[in-house]
Amino acid sequence: MDAFTQIFGFAFQYLDSAAYLILAALGLSIIFGMMGVINMAHGELMMVGAYITALCMYAGVPAPIAILLAGVGAGLVGMVLERLIIRHFYKQILSSLVVTWGLSMIISQLFLIMFGPNMPSLPTPYSDIKILVGGDIGLAIVGAKGFAQVTADTGRMPLGVESFGIYRLIMFVVAVLMVLAVWLLLQKSEFGARARATMDNPTMANALGISTPRIYALTFGLGSALAGLAGGLFALTSAITPYFGAAYTARAFITVVVGGAAGIINGLVASVAALGGVQTVLSNMFSVYIGFVGMIAAAFLILLFMPTGISGYIEKLKGRSR
Amino acid sequence: MTMYKRHPLAFLGLIEGPQTMGRGWPFWLCFAIIVVLAFLAPTQFGIKPYRVNEFLVSGFLAASLSILWGYAGILSLGQAAFFGVGGYVYGIIGINLFEVTGNTHLALVGGILAPTVFAAVVGAVMFYARLKGVYIAILMLVLSLLLETFMLQTADPNVYHVGDALLGGANGLRPASDIPSIAFGWGEAALEINGRREGFYYFALTLLIVVYLGLRMLLNSSFGYLLVAVREDSDRTETFGYDVRRIKLAVFCLSAVLAGLAGSLDTARINRVDPELVFSVSANIMVVIWVAVGGRKDLTTAILGAISLEWVYLWLTTSGSPEYATLVMGGILVVAMLIAPEGLFVWIGTRLGKLSGRVRRPLAKAKEAHQCRP
Repeated sequence: MDAFTQIFGFAFQYLDSAAYLILAALGLSIIFGMMGVINMAHGELMMVGAYITALCMYAGVPAPIAILLAGVGAGLVGMVLERLIIRHFYKQILSSLVVTWGLSMIISQLFLIMFGPNMPSLPTPYSDIKILVGGDIGLAIVGAKGFAQVTADTGRMPLGVESFGIYRLIMFVVAVLMVLAVWLLLQKSEFGARARATMDNPTMANALGISTPRIYALTFGLGSALAGLAGGLFALTSAITPYFGAAYTARAFITVVVGGAAGIINGLVASVAALGGVQTVLSNMFSVYIGFVGMIAAAFLILLFMPTGISGYIEKLKGRSR
Repeated sequence: MTMYKRHPLAFLGLIEGPQTMGRGWPFWLCFAIIVVLAFLAPTQFGIKPYRVNEFLVSGFLAASLSILWGYAGILSLGQAAFFGVGGYVYGIIGINLFEVTGNTHLALVGGILAPTVFAAVVGAVMFYARLKGVYIAILMLVLSLLLETFMLQTADPNVYHVGDALLGGANGLRPASDIPSIAFGWGEAALEINGRREGFYYFALTLLIVVYLGLRMLLNSSFGYLLVAVREDSDRTETFGYDVRRIKLAVFCLSAVLAGLAGSLDTARINRVDPELVFSVSANIMVVIWVAVGGRKDLTTAILGAISLEWVYLWLTTSGSPEYATLVMGGILVVAMLIAPEGLFVWIGTRLGKLSGRVRRPLAKAKEAHQCRP
């Protein structure tokens, strides 16, 4: 394998793990950053999204629409949960942690009872399109036909050539677009201004005529909808089980905490860049398990030096320089 | 220098005090009745030890989370990690030494010490880094899941073995048949306590009562007051000159002692330990459910919560399917958090206390004081 292939492969993995972290953490970071609630049922909302996507796609709905429906569905579920239960636990961070953990248990058990231990897995879209790197080929994006041509002589990939699926890249692009959209929504829209006012000073916001309960419900719904979208995107790459989301909750949480609540979006991006990097390097050098352990160790070290997360640290530096 | 001399047995007075619910003769009468009934249960009421022995083990685990979360305000979502480390170490030492010594003294000591050392290291890093609240809660859960992931991939007997004990991956510690039950004494005179029989029931029940009474005294001593002070306002406690980090580390280690004891007992009870049983999310969440539903801020209610919810869970699994049982447990947690945030038994206890007028309400008072603060 030549250096170019190696670098490309590395970059590809980096984007892949960054996409997973961003998608898993975006909704959680909004709920944590704006409402101060740790939603342990976040992974289960992703699972709800994955199931909606799967059920829609079995019914013949095309993948992009199925994923959007997953976002809408999970968002509605989130809003109902917020109105019924979570609104009683604002400002009680440990209690909200415990109660949302209970919710996650209920949701995953309900899905287990309704749909059984697993769903037929979905085909990954564009799985016939591959990126080939290295050897005599250089860099090429080929369809199934092109792939057959490349492998025609030997029946398998020529020596030194690596192939990468294109869906992972699409996921990364979608993740970046989602981050941009959320940033625009929070910073530039009327809703964003109202939401930020509510989180900053609920009493004052209420006095100025903003319906704070509605803002809370909508914000929680937005976070849940993002979880549902992420679940829908992930559903196309992995097995769909009732415990689908549990694997992501811890990861998402770590990403969010490292990012910090001072700046939701820039914190998240910085945190994903750092943690995704550590994970990619260590997974490559040792094993996936070591990569995960290393990511947690890195998160821990970052928190040691920046107890309010990366964005909190940046704010502090800014304050000092002024 | 003259010092006020206390009666040598004065510490017994600490058995009741503001940090624990229940005082005066009505409480101790109830306590005595429950203890007597519990001791008579296997012979008189047909309670099957192989079913209820597990409940007693849960009692220790609930106590360990109650002192940590309820008293000191440090929530750990990975309390089963200590339980699991204790269980594994008990099993590993037991498999290796039982043939030689014929008892499990060292296995028990190891099963308690190992999680304590583990807690001391993890706790020192966390508390001296001044990590707080949610961070500790999630970090402990992640730690437990890391242990689970690690243990799941230890199936290769050539790499992962400690003496004769194979870690065994998802199947758990092997050879399972060689994990000894608890045994005291030496050689021929050793007394082995089968985990599925009455012997274990009486042993665990006695131990639970002793630990319970001992913890009551500890919690009503100055250490208990310090824990509550740390929970209510750790900054103020620090201003008074106490090293909050050290207090937190101490209670963290104490909770690991109790969880390790529970883990050792449980491995000895069923002669089995596997990653899913002790390190998984469901193992961890059950502990939180018992303590949150029973009443985290009191030792008695936390233990009662564990035993009664285990009873409910057993009843649900035997009369329905385990999926529904887990669903109902989640429902109980959420409903209890909504209607009795301090815990179901605390709610009952304070009402009983009002009725008899003899039970003071330290919890309500603490809450009042908390609310008065600006």
